[in-house]
Amino acid sequence: MKILLVEDEPALRTTLLGSLKQAGYLVEAAADFAQAQEKIMLYQYDCVLLDLTLPDGSGLDLLRALKASNSAAGVLIITARDALDDKITGFDLGADDYLIKPFHLSELNARVRAIIRRRQFQGQQQIVFRDLTVLPDLAEVQVRGAALALTRKEYDLLLYLLANPGRVLTKEAIAEHLCGDTVDAADSFDFIYTHLKNLRKKLQEKGADNYIRTMYGVGYKLSTE
Amino acid sequence: MKLLAATTRYYLVLNVLLFGMGSVALYHGINWALRTEVSEQLSIRRQELLNKARANELPPVAQLEALLIISRKPRPEGFRDTILPDNIEHEMVPHRVLTFPLMVRGEGPVWVTLQKSLVEAEDLVGVVLGVMLGALALLLGGMVMLNRWFAARLWAPFRNTLAALRSYDLQQHQPLKLATPAIAEFAELNQALTTLSQRLVEEYETLREFTANAAHETQTPLAIMQAQLEQLLQLPVLAEDPAAAPLVADLYGATLRLSRLHQALSLLSKIENRQFAQAVPVRLDQLLEEKVAQFEPLFEARELRYGIDVTTEPIIQVMHPGLADSLLQNLLQNAVKHNVRGGEVAIKLSPQGLRISNTGPAVQGDPARFFERFRKHNAASESPGLGLSIVQQICGYYGFGVEYTVSKGGTRHTLRIVWKPSMPVSAQKAEAQPLAMHQ
Repeated sequence: MKILLVEDEPALRTTLLGSLKQAGYLVEAAADFAQAQEKIMLYQYDCVLLDLTLPDGSGLDLLRALKASNSAAGVLIITARDALDDKITGFDLGADDYLIKPFHLSELNARVRAIIRRRQFQGQQQIVFRDLTVLPDLAEVQVRGAALALTRKEYDLLLYLLANPGRVLTKEAIAEHLCGDTVDAADSFDFIYTHLKNLRKKLQEKGADNYIRTMYGVGYKLSTE
Repeated sequence: MKLLAATTRYYLVLNVLLFGMGSVALYHGINWALRTEVSEQLSIRRQELLNKARANELPPVAQLEALLIISRKPRPEGFRDTILPDNIEHEMVPHRVLTFPLMVRGEGPVWVTLQKSLVEAEDLVGVVLGVMLGALALLLGGMVMLNRWFAARLWAPFRNTLAALRSYDLQQHQPLKLATPAIAEFAELNQALTTLSQRLVEEYETLREFTANAAHETQTPLAIMQAQLEQLLQLPVLAEDPAAAPLVADLYGATLRLSRLHQALSLLSKIENRQFAQAVPVRLDQLLEEKVAQFEPLFEARELRYGIDVTTEPIIQVMHPGLADSLLQNLLQNAVKHNVRGGEVAIKLSPQGLRISNTGPAVQGDPARFFERFRKHNAASESPGLGLSIVQQICGYYGFGVEYTVSKGGTRHTLRIVWKPSMPVSAQKAEAQPLAMHQ
């Protein structure tokens, strides 16, 4: 799975590159408009992560170019500019999703995964993790073939963990993922704790291994070991 | 009071005063001159009679009596004023009278009284005063007319300038365009105003750019910090020391808080700079439902019971969608944050306004101060205390009335927003009713 990262800020580019590579993607990076345009013309990508404010042009123009060349790539806009107008223009031009800086890397992973899943398999797919199988289209979870009944939030939580296998997920990132930006983090940690506890219990009842690890003082992690 | 009215008033007061004094002086002057004239005429006549008497040219008294008023008994001598009937006009008329003794040869002394009507003098005074008053009336009338004309003509450029200033909107980023009138003072005024507006536009632009750049420039390092700290947390080496990961996690949390603070501050400054000119009709009832759904996990986590009462008709306000979102977000957040475990939140949205009331810990102090920036109920709270400031700014921006009340005992907090503040809040209170709570 090939991803193009268009980001002008070197430090952020490096970090995003590292994180995406860790998640198992093949990532190429472009530092400016010209580089990005060239890469878009030459290669095919599954997903393009697009910063809107580039030193030598607007990311929206790149988006237009992508759409004009009938690219199959999904587009995720990442930008510091939280102007609503850009967001609407972006969606109008065919962007798949929108992330405002600063964002959680785990959130980025989840979004990228969702985009690629939708694009590549037209949604027909299942996520398999150890003894766990998730059918995202049916919102169904199976443990060793047996259906597992989860609440909406527990299901969202599980999907989020599955989008970031082996990654430490901070409490803040999980809270924001589940409640949108409604949370002023601290208010919601109890709530995450409750849902995680329930999710674990349900998984254990079905005989799944305990692969959701608590990282003390930090958050949680879906252990791949 | 208008400038012209003010100056006219002073002119009029001065004129009336001077004219009154002048009229009195004139009246007395003319009166005095006329009486002196009449007295002189009488004196001359007396002198003639005395001369004739000395030359013995006077006719006998019997003959004189037909011509003059003569008394054989002594009468008080000298000038007198009296009122005597006038034979021609048949009315009492003031007269100047002179009585003096006269020696008629062979007949002894007699007292002669000479008299002259003052009616002409009075008529003259009347005419003079009439003319003067007429002139005053014309002068005053003329001044008022002239001022009206001034107001209409000479002050027209000033009024144009005023109208241009009133309708001036900095948001359009255009300096004032004022004509150069013929009158130097107004031309100078317009020039000064044009320069001022140009400077304002420039400053405003700079400020806007600054805000946008500051937001962008601050957001980027924050994004880098957040991303790298998150990557740092992934390092296996952190697992070797159990104290290390929580340290990084705390740093990560602090970065998030800084980032939220930054977002709130830049939102506040954007509202203050009126950078949310775009406005569309927003379905507040739908937005509220979405927001409440988002908040549900938080209600649940804090075991809050909540009730929503929304009228069936759509509730639409023309505003910036982002601000509408932020308004409801901050209101709900406030209701959750300053609540007690197992408390209540009651939301009522109507065509008149929005009322969010919640249980909370007892608080001291004036609720109006809760809108101040960085105001916290709990000093240890992680929240920067900007939520209600944002609410207040948004309400101010759209002219909504906003009010925070705390009931007796301080445990029931109510935040009320009225879309059209002309409507008294008491009318809202009357229709408010207890809401059904559900878990």
